[in-house]
Amino acid sequence: MILRYDGTFAGFLTSVSLARERGLEPEAIADREPEQQGLFATVETVATSRDRADELYRLIRHTLTPGAMQTFRYAFQSCEPGREILLFRYLQLGLATGAQFGAMLAHEAVIPVWKLARAVGREAHRYKGLVRFQHLEGDIWYAAMEPDHCILPLIAPHFAARFADQRWIIHDRRRGEAVAFDPRHQKWAATPLELTATLPCTAGEEFFRELWQRYFDRLAIAERRNPKLQRQNLPLKHRRHLPEFEQ
Amino acid sequence: MPKLTLAEKLEILADGAKYDVSCASSGSSRRNKGGIGNGAQCGICHSWTADGRCVSLLKILLTNACIYDCAYCVNRRSNDTRRVILTPAEVAELTIGFYRRNAIEGLFLSTGVVKDPDHTMELLIEATRILREEHRFNGYIHVKVVPGADLLLVERLGRLADRVSVNMELPSRESLKLLAPDKSREAIVAPMKRVGELIVQTKEERKVSRKIPPFAPAGQSTQLIIGASGESDLQIVSLAAGLYGRLAMKRVYYSAFIPVNIDSRLPSVIGTPPLVREHRLYQADWLMRYYGFAAGELLDEERPNLDLTLDPKAGWALRNLHIFPLEVNRAPLELLLRVPGIGVRSAQRIAGARRGGHLSLDDLARLGVVMKRARYFVTARGRFAADLAPDAAGLRARLTERTTPRPRWNQPSLFDAAAAIDIQSTITGEL
Ligand code: SF4
Repeated sequence: MILRYDGTFAGFLTSVSLARERGLEPEAIADREPEQQGLFATVETVATSRDRADELYRLIRHTLTPGAMQTFRYAFQSCEPGREILLFRYLQLGLATGAQFGAMLAHEAVIPVWKLARAVGREAHRYKGLVRFQHLEGDIWYAAMEPDHCILPLIAPHFAARFADQRWIIHDRRRGEAVAFDPRHQKWAATPLELTATLPCTAGEEFFRELWQRYFDRLAIAERRNPKLQRQNLPLKHRRHLPEFEQ
Repeated sequence: MPKLTLAEKLEILADGAKYDVSCASSGSSRRNKGGIGNGAQCGICHSWTADGRCVSLLKILLTNACIYDCAYCVNRRSNDTRRVILTPAEVAELTIGFYRRNAIEGLFLSTGVVKDPDHTMELLIEATRILREEHRFNGYIHVKVVPGADLLLVERLGRLADRVSVNMELPSRESLKLLAPDKSREAIVAPMKRVGELIVQTKEERKVSRKIPPFAPAGQSTQLIIGASGESDLQIVSLAAGLYGRLAMKRVYYSAFIPVNIDSRLPSVIGTPPLVREHRLYQADWLMRYYGFAAGELLDEERPNLDLTLDPKAGWALRNLHIFPLEVNRAPLELLLRVPGIGVRSAQRIAGARRGGHLSLDDLARLGVVMKRARYFVTARGRFAADLAPDAAGLRARLTERTTPRPRWNQPSLFDAAAAIDIQSTITGEL
């Protein structure tokens, strides 16, 4: 049995809830048509149910430690294909073992989920520094990025707290998704976003961009030059939206 | 002389500030109260420069003019360079402009001494005040204290900043006298002591009333230049231990000496700064702060200098082979921390995971233990993973980082070698 869901966290929880109710372990839970198993397995499309999702979510929150809960949430946001079944097993073990679960760090159902969560956590932390805003006409602060994982909802609270008086948008260009923040209501929301025109920057933006580039070029100490270390710390793929690396 | 643009001034003042290696922005959780910015408990890097260092703070001098003449400093009076100064308002404007773009975590403001220490301190305080009060900026601010300034000014600065620091620069009174003749040891130590007192006192007072403004909530730090004078690692590490213990110092930074001036009082090294030594000192420092090592366990009169080819934790283990191998299912956390290849996080994970069942050797690797190093020092369920007992003579050779050659001056390849030292540990010093 393969469960197909809409790709959302609520949809995933709905699928898990259904599988638990029927007492079976699906071969896969996926948001698209699986390529291999499709031949023999039956595919069932799951309609997302907020109530079901909420109910399961409360049960998880009640049973798992906050750390295990965060691992679960972060691993889901990895958006790696195939993560759903790992998360399913992780959750089954967690719900079955309850208080002991926190100590089962070396269990084979825990390790892969923990690794995914760690990768996502690292990337989310990294992007707290790499998201770079440009000041656009109309007093909007816009940032583009292309992360490996679906980290927008994980980093939005950080920027909402920090730039509480700015109207800002962070744009995941790989996925055509964005979060936008409204300082009047102190709220952020997710929205699909595609750019159709070039962005109109303010004059101040040009000024600070040049200032930053010139400042950055002066920072390195010639005697300690070490481009290899620089590349290890900041891989080329992360430089694409940083003005200091613009040609 | 044509008037300089802000960009040109910024370049000159960044040049003068970049040799200060302290860059951390962590440890302050100042909250955003209706303005802009907050502190992040764990540090955030916004970029990395061509020397591989993290860019976290806007690091600039208020001015590169100075009435003093320290031998090792680019900004010293006797150097023939162009002098510029920013107004406190300009410092604030630059900081806010970069901060709003999320290019920085905050400001690191240092300065040369103009007119006298008190006047200079007042300018620093004013820049900080404008940021906090006029721009309502709650991000991270680290400001240098000018040695010799009035202690009341030191107090005012600490009420506005997240971190303050007085750079010791030279590890002994004699070196200070020789290389920084205008600055007495007392002028450096007095503000350090005062800052230490105020940090402790304010913490106590704030337990009673949160209305009392915090004082340097991210603590104080200092910097020592390594290799400009003749002190041994033992002297340096002991000094650091004293600073952590007695002055409630948060961080001591070590900066490999880079000759920027020609001066007969300075050692005549050309080319490569002693980066490997600097790296080993950071490791030793890390062992003292997070692993429970005492300075005397790492170095003593007979071995006053750190081994450049071996990390200090492995060195300690080799001198204390009688306590190994440790059974990971039983050893207390303090001892797990002393195993080469087990870091703070993996030690904690072991302590957590073994409550859920006996750990095997395979489990260790999964918990993040570097088995390549640890296997000589641990057993799991009584099983030993190495082909060599831990008292074998070849152990030292196996633990030596072959990628770390002895430094040879003027060998450009050293930079690659230094990069090959575990990158993570170069940043964190973690072992
Ligand atoms: S007081 Fe500071 S800026 Fe002035 S010469 Fe000495 S180290 Fe340089």
